[in-house]
Amino acid sequence: MSTISRKDFLKILGLAAGSAFLPTVRAQAAIGEADDHVAMLYDSTLCVGCNACTNACRQWNHTTPEPDAEGLHDAPQALSADTWTLIQLYKEGDEYAFVKRQCMHCVHPACVSGCPVQALQKTPQGPVTYDPSRCIGCRYCMYTCPFHVPRFEWDEVIPKIAKCTFCYDRILDGKGPACAERCPTGALIWGRRADLLAEAEKRLAEHPDRYVNHIYGKDDAGGTSVLYLSAVPFEKLGLEDLGTEPIPQLSEDTARVVLPGIIIGGPLALVAIHWISKKGAWEETWPL
Amino acid sequence: MATLVKQLKRTSPVLLYAAYLLLALTLLGIGLSIYRLVVGLGPTTNMNDYYPWGIWISIDLFLIPVAGAAFTISLISYFFGRERYHDVIRPAVLAGVIGYGVVGILLFLDIGRWFQFYNIFNPRYINLHSFLEEISLCVTLYTGILILEILPVLLERWNIQTPTRWINRGIYIIAGAGIVLSALHQSSLGSLFLLMPYKLHPLWWTPALPVLFFFQATYTGLSMTAIAVTLIWRARGIPLDRELFRRIGQAMALNLLLYLAIKAGDWMGAGEVPLLLKPDAYGLLAWFELIIGVFVPMAILFSKLIRHSAAPFWAGVFALIGTFINRLVISWIGLAEPSPVVYTPHWIEIAITLGIMSGGVLLYALIAYYFRLLPERHASPTT
Ligand code: SF4
Ligand code: SF4
Ligand code: SF4
Repeated sequence: MSTISRKDFLKILGLAAGSAFLPTVRAQAAIGEADDHVAMLYDSTLCVGCNACTNACRQWNHTTPEPDAEGLHDAPQALSADTWTLIQLYKEGDEYAFVKRQCMHCVHPACVSGCPVQALQKTPQGPVTYDPSRCIGCRYCMYTCPFHVPRFEWDEVIPKIAKCTFCYDRILDGKGPACAERCPTGALIWGRRADLLAEAEKRLAEHPDRYVNHIYGKDDAGGTSVLYLSAVPFEKLGLEDLGTEPIPQLSEDTARVVLPGIIIGGPLALVAIHWISKKGAWEETWPL
Repeated sequence: MATLVKQLKRTSPVLLYAAYLLLALTLLGIGLSIYRLVVGLGPTTNMNDYYPWGIWISIDLFLIPVAGAAFTISLISYFFGRERYHDVIRPAVLAGVIGYGVVGILLFLDIGRWFQFYNIFNPRYINLHSFLEEISLCVTLYTGILILEILPVLLERWNIQTPTRWINRGIYIIAGAGIVLSALHQSSLGSLFLLMPYKLHPLWWTPALPVLFFFQATYTGLSMTAIAVTLIWRARGIPLDRELFRRIGQAMALNLLLYLAIKAGDWMGAGEVPLLLKPDAYGLLAWFELIIGVFVPMAILFSKLIRHSAAPFWAGVFALIGTFINRLVISWIGLAEPSPVVYTPHWIEIAITLGIMSGGVLLYALIAYYFRLLPERHASPTT
């Protein structure tokens, strides 16, 4: 997305006259705070695909397994109302890798920005939580999330949104997320975001041959609390290039300019239009 | 009612059958709506985790600019001081009330947790960053304003005058507030998609979405006005006011031109012209939408055809189709996720949509028959 030329074009239109003053530092400041958020680091090169984490998630959160056709294995195909995390296999020729899917607990979550009733919230500790007593079930969050994470209980008469909560209840108890605490290989660890970023940098520096030189989630989509290291390009694991600008930035900046602009400018414009037309100035020229 | 049925039976049985059909559809729609609320969205719709929004949202996104007729006409007649347009305010405002009513009902049926919909009004919950919240509030307030504006029409039948006097005294404030609220929610409808830069197809996603939606709403509202007025005046056998129609046509043309300029400017500015030339479904769809919805109406309005009094009607029909395609793409086709399933609406979704809309049309026709929507001097001999 060529945002530069887009912005230029907007400026030409004079619509974003105020955008020059917009607080772009805001994003930086918030990322500073994110240092202390709880986070997870998933190192794809260490994951053996044992699904200990996904089972731990089921046990702790009481979700229902989604068995395959023979009914022998719990084999969910994608995130769903019952599957908040999932290990997926990427395979191409001899090369293969696993990837863990779950809510990324974005530093600037689009789902939170869009939710009309603050049913989704970014907690001070970092996890993005959901409160069904507020939710109206509009499903806007399912569209705003760039990672396709929130799911909906379609078959319930009284449905809820479902997604990974970072085991917020455990975090409040001083414990770690169930999935990360169960991982036997150390592929999934949890801790302070800044510490995990340092650990990831260290692994990249020590084994530059083993990894793609990028920590996915450090800045992607404005930063996330779930960080990834991988040997294969991230797009192949389904972790797309989402830029580094927080997803809600444009929307919130627009709201900041357009809403007061219309609320204050609208009535003024109406008075002006009325006044000019009263004088009959446009009688013949204005094509209405 | 009985006299109306009798009269229709004599004069135009076709209209009577059409009314019965609308009534049947409405009743079916109401029944299915109750069914949907009782059993949930799963059994009654085909929406799924990859297409969490379906045909209802597309219809809402289309009906809101159509119901914006009232907004454009109020702006022109009250604030641009064009007396002539006063004649069409009432039909336009009525279309607005009913249009927003239909949207409200569809939204209520659409949201999964409808039993606590009022949370959008709870000051402790509302999220002021959210364009969805802002739209909810604006649309609710605006519907209230439209009801105020149409109230005199209903009250005068029973010769109740006091509220009407008050409303007329404050009409500039009321209409002005309505215009500001419309400008807010019509543009915010586009802003809704600003949070989806990586979901909506780049030919449709642009930071200029709020501006595009705004101008699309103005010309779509004018189109709807042209269509409704032509139909009402024809039905009543009143000769069309040619001068008024020429002017409505020109206002449409002006807004179409602005819309096209911004759209083309955005495509060029963002370097997306190659996408437009790519012969895939999206490129074709973009052209289709542009030709039907913008070029054809402009061709009608900028050519000599404008002298023909039916020109705004036909330009309006094409513009409306274009807006419909545009909103369908933005809320459904162009929002496709990498997905193993495709969404096509369940028959119940379609039946509910048709049912609620039929109810709206029926109500409009009845009010247009029983109340004085057109000014005195045009009143037809039948009333
Ligand atoms: S990944 Fe999606 S659901 Fe999770 S916090 Fe980010 S935007 Fe919200
Ligand atoms: S579905 Fe619920 S959580 Fe999601 S945006 Fe709507 S109100 Fe918020
Ligand atoms: S953090 Fe908790 S809810 Fe999220 S995937 Fe892990 S176990 Fe499941």
